[in-house]
Amino acid sequence: MSPLKITPRDAATGPVLELSGELDYANVAELHQALDGLALRPGRCLVLDMSGLEFCDSSGITALIAARSNAQTVRADVALAAVPPNILRVLRIVGLDQIFTVHPDIESATRP
Amino acid sequence: MMCRADQQPDPQDADADADADRTADAAFAALLEDSAEDLYENAPCGYLSTLMDGTIAKINGTLLDWLGLEREAVVGRKRFTDLLTVGGKLYHETHFAPLLRMQSEISGIALEMKQTGGGRIPVLVSSAVKHGTTGQPLLIRTTVFDARDRRAYEEELLRRREAAEEARRQAEADRARLQEALAVLQQSLLPDTLPPVPGAQTATHYHTASPDRLGGDFYDVFALDGQRFGFFLGDVCGKGPQAAALTSLTRYTLRAAALHDPDPVSALTTLNTVLHERYAGSGDPRYCTAVYGTLEPDPATGQLAVHLAAGGHPPAIVLRADGTADFLPTPGGLLVGILPSAPFTDATTVLGPGDTLLLYTDGLTEARTGQDRAGLYGDEALLAFVTAHAGKPPHAVVQALTGLLDSFGDGLDDDTALLAIGVPASDPQTRDER
Repeated sequence: MSPLKITPRDAATGPVLELSGELDYANVAELHQALDGLALRPGRCLVLDMSGLEFCDSSGITALIAARSNAQTVRADVALAAVPPNILRVLRIVGLDQIFTVHPDIESATRP
Repeated sequence: MMCRADQQPDPQDADADADADRTADAAFAALLEDSAEDLYENAPCGYLSTLMDGTIAKINGTLLDWLGLEREAVVGRKRFTDLLTVGGKLYHETHFAPLLRMQSEISGIALEMKQTGGGRIPVLVSSAVKHGTTGQPLLIRTTVFDARDRRAYEEELLRRREAAEEARRQAEADRARLQEALAVLQQSLLPDTLPPVPGAQTATHYHTASPDRLGGDFYDVFALDGQRFGFFLGDVCGKGPQAAALTSLTRYTLRAAALHDPDPVSALTTLNTVLHERYAGSGDPRYCTAVYGTLEPDPATGQLAVHLAAGGHPPAIVLRADGTADFLPTPGGLLVGILPSAPFTDATTVLGPGDTLLLYTDGLTEARTGQDRAGLYGDEALLAFVTAHAGKPPHAVVQALTGLLDSFGDGLDDDTALLAIGVPASDPQTRDER
């Protein structure tokens, strides 16, 4: 079990959260807190860099959906970048690959 | 060293010691009671002496004060038991007096005495029989201690204990009621038995990750009309009471929607609208994954036509009588309830004799098989496992999967539901295995 690590930074497109470790029921509150702490402005895009993420359970899925719906209320967007294959498989099963923009890597996600 | 006036001076004592003793004796005498009679009358406890028949011969002022009695009305006129309450009297007759007769002394017995004016005073009574020179009993000497403080303390203790006891009883009753309510709720979330589907067999299994948590997985099979049956299986997000409320809403919405329009995509669309309406904007997104479908038995051919749709759910698996198995893909179906309108994908298949449709929740494919979560069981492993059981009837398939779930042990940290629907094999040997 590797702990969840959330590293915020800024890119030309908007805020970026680098997620690494395992995202599950036990630590999903940390992600919710990090999301609440973001000041997302209209027209900007929050990028979740998931390259270091090893696991994401349904609580994590819920956090992604909450992030998307919060972004939409301020007319901003959320994109996922560098999603590992096992997590992408889950996203496909639940259909989230259709409602999130999924970038192959962080460079293409943060290119203005 | 004792300081008593009647003590014989030790001839060996030094003069200095004797002088010191005399000085100390004088100091004590000034402080001590100068009259034994005064000590008796005004001692901090009650004294009384009675004849052997209980008639009061002597009583001190302290006790008279406590009881609010005059000496003239008591001495020679009342018995000890006349001073006691009815309860005290009874206890005196049945326990106190017989014990005193047997043992000649008794101490620390709790009794209640009557006060003039109707009050009661709890006391601790000790008595000793005084005997004459020939050993015959002469009289009874009794001391009476005021036990009001002690009684109050005991009553407080008792009251506290009763309150604690009551709280414990209440907590236990509450817990029992809660468990009963949970059991009833759980039953309303998961049917005990499924209705018989003509020409088909069904089997289910529910693995609960935690026994005191209401589960988040659900399934059901129910009649739609004269020919068709509806079925569903799904998984709501979250755990506990909120998940149970969501499960309940999901189940009954699907059943009602199915009766209105049994088309699988329509039923899931209705469910999506209801869940989104209910939970959108609550700041707490809630959703479910679900497979919903219809079964239409064809009595002429013995086949079972399946039409299903799924949202956010892993694909169903069809196990064929010939020993093969494959996914029945429903790609692109979105989680139910997260968007105002969601795409759902449907699929159809026909089950012939010996074929089985298997529905499962992701507890099965997300079970950890290794130390870390990279080693999840996965859908390919599941397909390989069930292929080995293709051709077997639903209950045998579910039994094999139950064994697989058990083998995960702690690796299975999510609830898992299984629903298998199959057509009995035409081969009599296989059918006999049922």
